[in-house]
Amino acid sequence: MKMKKITAFLMTAVLTMGLAGCGGETAPAAATEQEPATEQTESSAEAESSAEAEPSGGSVELTVTTTFAGEDSNAQNYKDAVAAWESKTGNTVSDTSATSDETFKTRIITDFETGSEPDVLFFFNGADANDFVNAGKVVSIDDIRAEYPDFASNMNDELIAASPADGKKYAVPVNGYWEAMFVNTEVLDAAGVEMPGADYTWDQFLSDCQDIKDAGYAPIAAALGNIPHYWWEFAIFNQQTPDNHLDIPGSSDDATGKQWVAGLEDIRELYQRGYFPDNTLSATDDETFAMFTDGKAAFLLDGSWKVGGIVGSCQSDPDDPSTLDADKLSHFDVTYFSGKGNRKTTDLIGGLSMGYYITTKAWEDPDKREAAVSFVSHMTSDEVVPIFAQHTASALKNAPTVDESQFNALQIKAMDMMSGVTSLTGAVQDLFNGDCRVSTFDGMPDIVAGNVSAADAVQEGVDTYQDSLE
Amino acid sequence: MSSIYKKKKYVFLFLAPAFVFLILYLYYPFFVNIYGSFRQIKSLGTYGTKWNTPFFKNYLSLFTDPVIWTSLKNTLLMIVATILGQVGIALVLSLLVDNIERGTQFFRTVYFFPIVISATALGLLFNLIFLYDKGMLNQFLEVLGKTDLTDWKNEENAILTMMIPVVWQYVGFYFIILETGLNNISQELYESAAIDGASRLQRVFYISIPLLRNVLCTCVTLGVTGALKVFDLPWTMFPKGMPLKKTFLTGTYMYYQTMEAKNVDYGATIAVLIVVLGVLLSKITRTVFRESEDY
Repeated sequence: MKMKKITAFLMTAVLTMGLAGCGGETAPAAATEQEPATEQTESSAEAESSAEAEPSGGSVELTVTTTFAGEDSNAQNYKDAVAAWESKTGNTVSDTSATSDETFKTRIITDFETGSEPDVLFFFNGADANDFVNAGKVVSIDDIRAEYPDFASNMNDELIAASPADGKKYAVPVNGYWEAMFVNTEVLDAAGVEMPGADYTWDQFLSDCQDIKDAGYAPIAAALGNIPHYWWEFAIFNQQTPDNHLDIPGSSDDATGKQWVAGLEDIRELYQRGYFPDNTLSATDDETFAMFTDGKAAFLLDGSWKVGGIVGSCQSDPDDPSTLDADKLSHFDVTYFSGKGNRKTTDLIGGLSMGYYITTKAWEDPDKREAAVSFVSHMTSDEVVPIFAQHTASALKNAPTVDESQFNALQIKAMDMMSGVTSLTGAVQDLFNGDCRVSTFDGMPDIVAGNVSAADAVQEGVDTYQDSLE
Repeated sequence: MSSIYKKKKYVFLFLAPAFVFLILYLYYPFFVNIYGSFRQIKSLGTYGTKWNTPFFKNYLSLFTDPVIWTSLKNTLLMIVATILGQVGIALVLSLLVDNIERGTQFFRTVYFFPIVISATALGLLFNLIFLYDKGMLNQFLEVLGKTDLTDWKNEENAILTMMIPVVWQYVGFYFIILETGLNNISQELYESAAIDGASRLQRVFYISIPLLRNVLCTCVTLGVTGALKVFDLPWTMFPKGMPLKKTFLTGTYMYYQTMEAKNVDYGATIAVLIVVLGVLLSKITRTVFRESEDY
């Protein structure tokens, strides 16, 4: 029920942003001052927060870990925002950010277990955080507000997700996300395939994949042996509806379990038809992403954070937006993942799944407490959050209206797509924590190769989940 | 001053720090690890909440887990690759370099250089060389007329692709050891053999190699025990045993179970297996390649 309420809020936020963009409304002063997303380095560096705590005195080194790294759209914005905070306070940040994947999640959890956690981290607010939340190693927003009443006061509390471990709120969100299907239209044109739209069905998708394969291209850019997450999520979602997508099966034989099995079998069918790259089981995500941007693969199922990576691939210097090849970027589009059964094509996965945590270790350190609060306040301020949120939602009470003219072509296409979304549902994998996913994530190659049945893999994951509840 | 040498208790005083260090950081964790292999542990830094049922469940799993057998097979292959590839190539190179008049120092530096590069960096380097979509090797083959791309990391090629960099990296290490061994052989032996009419090849087979026996034994022992510990380069190139868990070594599989799959107690069990395997193989190696006092 709570999840539905949050989803409704997010939908409203996303649709408002999309409609504002499509309507070409004049943005308020705060927004018009923003550079395009890829050109926002200056503005983020100058961002100031009225809601921040006072500077802490200027000699503290905070250890910070986030997922703003690699191909993430906000990798550069993050560096700029950190530099701005360092410059303003005199404190320094020892950053260990890394691309978000299972290894990153494991590293964070291990860091907490071994007592080497960072002072501040930007991490998932779902079941992945259960272990360190249960261990009391992060501080709740309410506890921080008891000392710093203005902490995260610019956020709409309704949109801050509570931890599934204890129902308390810990992570201050920055930007929302959505997951959808990026398209290389140059490949589609070469294969004589139409750009998919809001009524795209699974059967049409299969037919298009065959046409693309026959034209000599890889239909789907995905590294199933490395990052099967998005296919896992949507393949299962395709057997369900937004109302029951967040259900966890009790066994592989119950209704939800059968849906999960059917979803994984759909992925196996795609693999056996040869719609994934030849090296999908041995490639890394970076390799298959390069295939997509190099015009060797047609479809890429991924998240909103990949917009920046695609735009970066269209720049001769990934760090210099002025080197953008607009013509190359025009060959990329984003659309809904093909619908099947009762899931509408326009039902997407998305939400506010991550946020900034302050660890107990930093909180209990008198030198670091104020610096940590100051840092999180800065990174979640009214000025910094819109720079990160770009074409996605945020939890700000006073989110600025989006000025479409400030966005690049792919961001505008993303906003157009989001304006047609009928529902935004959280990812069930965020509730099916860590080791429960091993049999179907790390086990995906064995499932698609037929070495392990989808039912056995799901049952193994469910057993691990049941064990974790004991 | 002289009493220090007479009273043996001072010896123990100097031995104590290293002894305490080993007890604390090697033997104690080792026995805790054995204890942990019988417990049900999901998080690092804990002893778990309960005993496995039965308590030796993980040891039974070793016999039924197909991946552990793949890991053992790959580890044995790695040992063979180490002996034949690393020590074998190093022996050939050292014999060749020993027979040249000038440039010995140059070759020593060149062959030893890979050792000083981080294994992770080497892994990333070889990832680019073996990259599927236009890595260096596939580009080279394309120039030679090959039209399709080869997946050097697929099921068929993965093991070879993993072993080539590992072998390449450590050839220089054994090269230096063997070169030093060759330098210790008296030149007079070679000179008298030459006077007696022995060819260069005969001098190698009848003087160099027999007199290198003890050094070779040391190299093989180091190679076998080193092969059991290889971790970073294979993990960088083939994380999580990619593809299809076919490239796991015992070390990488232990890490995977402990850190990635969060099956900490099973990881501890694999660690025990690695220790047992290490002790056994060291014993066998010492028996087979026993150093001789004749040389």
